[in-house]
Amino acid sequence: MNSQSAPHQESERTLAEGGTASSPKESKIKGLKCRECGRLYPAVAIHICEFCFGPLEVDYDYTAIGRRISRRSIEEGPQSLWRYHELLPVTGTPTVGLHAGMTPLIHAKRLGKLLGLDNLYLKNDTVNHPTLSFKDRVVAVAMTRARELGFDTVACASTGNLANSVSAHAASVGMKCFVFIPHDLEAGKILGNLIYNPTVVAVRGNYDDVNRLCSEIGGEYPWAFVNINIRPYYAEGSKSLAFETAEQLGWRIPDQVVVPIASGSLLTKIRKGFQEFEKLGLVSPNDRLKVNGAQAEGCSPVYRAFVSGKNHLVPVKPNTIAKSLAIGNPADGFYSLDVVFKSGGAIAAASDPEIVEGMKILAETEGVFAETAGGVTIASLRKLCAEGRIGRKDLTVAYITGNGLKTMEALAGALPDPVSIDPTLASFRKTVNPTN
Amino acid sequence: MTQMRLHLTFPEERVREPIIYEICRKFPVIVNIRRADISLDSGWVELEMDGELADIERTVSYLRDRGVHVDPLEKSILEG
Repeated sequence: MNSQSAPHQESERTLAEGGTASSPKESKIKGLKCRECGRLYPAVAIHICEFCFGPLEVDYDYTAIGRRISRRSIEEGPQSLWRYHELLPVTGTPTVGLHAGMTPLIHAKRLGKLLGLDNLYLKNDTVNHPTLSFKDRVVAVAMTRARELGFDTVACASTGNLANSVSAHAASVGMKCFVFIPHDLEAGKILGNLIYNPTVVAVRGNYDDVNRLCSEIGGEYPWAFVNINIRPYYAEGSKSLAFETAEQLGWRIPDQVVVPIASGSLLTKIRKGFQEFEKLGLVSPNDRLKVNGAQAEGCSPVYRAFVSGKNHLVPVKPNTIAKSLAIGNPADGFYSLDVVFKSGGAIAAASDPEIVEGMKILAETEGVFAETAGGVTIASLRKLCAEGRIGRKDLTVAYITGNGLKTMEALAGALPDPVSIDPTLASFRKTVNPTN
Repeated sequence: MTQMRLHLTFPEERVREPIIYEICRKFPVIVNIRRADISLDSGWVELEMDGELADIERTVSYLRDRGVHVDPLEKSILEG
């Protein structure tokens, strides 16, 4: 590929080679569509409507998909998110992230008892493959699509989970990879990326500077920047969380979901995933579904708009231990707020101590060690229960999106020291006294 | 000439001030508003800004000094 040409035109050859997906004569992807003005575009590597600057979304041919998809076709698919390939924006055989998704849905009886919920479930993406966060879903889809579009280089700007996932997936298929980070990022987080041997670029500047530089680079270089020019495809990967939830619940839509909000895309796509299953007759509609959001108080532009009843988000400077949710001006903030309002849901926010407490009660009751974002979700779930927004009998699903091993520093000083004893039975009896 | 696509957020205390007019008077940049939503107490504007890179940089600095939050069109790209 000529490095100076934008490799975004899908060839007939690529389509024709699609093994598990639609035939070229009946492609499931009609193109991209502006979420604001509805203008249509070809399904290439673009993300903004040139007419009104609205964001672009994948436009599917649900009639064609409906002819091919069924509960049975899904159940016979692979044990990964690719069992839902008909509803994901790729046209050929998946090539990246073949083991992502199909994470456990845990009936959280002990946590539910603590919170006063009889039907609480946890969607546990702390064990997603390969990098232990829900980002493995969106990156699997984004990079498969990027390869279909002819890209050989992938990029992202991230301080954590996204960088891990992009780096690991790029390594797994031999793509060139650029990761942009702020120059003052902690060493441990950089190492977690360097092990996959991407080019890590530390930008001397603040978060705003990194954002602006990446926007410029995204427009300048013929790369698949997963959350810029590949964003319409990337975001669709989050729908798989809804698909799996519905299937694992026995083809049902829950009554309540609690979703952490960073960019806001995850929340909107979980709602979209349930709607697609309803539209295709794979589940019975559940008009009672309330979509609830969870933010960290130290970075809560969507929560603040929710409590003020406004639809304008005021950008904030993040100041929270929940780094994976620390997005000061979320791209899909307005849309996530809209979903919450329209579903009759709510948004709660958790302080840093409440986040740690959320992590602890999740671990102590269910044996799940979540990163700080999981603490935000559980702390927010707890508040929503206390406010009576979630009822005891509601079928409730909380989304735990990343593994606690990634944010160990958040627990410094928050846990008791080990019990220290001499290597004698007498010391054990005296100090631990297990019969008491 | 360079073009940047920017998302500007105006806080309540600035939303009634003619700041877009000010930047066009003060700096040699061409501003083309493409999408906006302004209310009495807040608002945002998405625009294209054409000019020499140094002039755009000065304009962005001025906007920030005036209390306007300036992001690329994609808003926060840097994710966790």
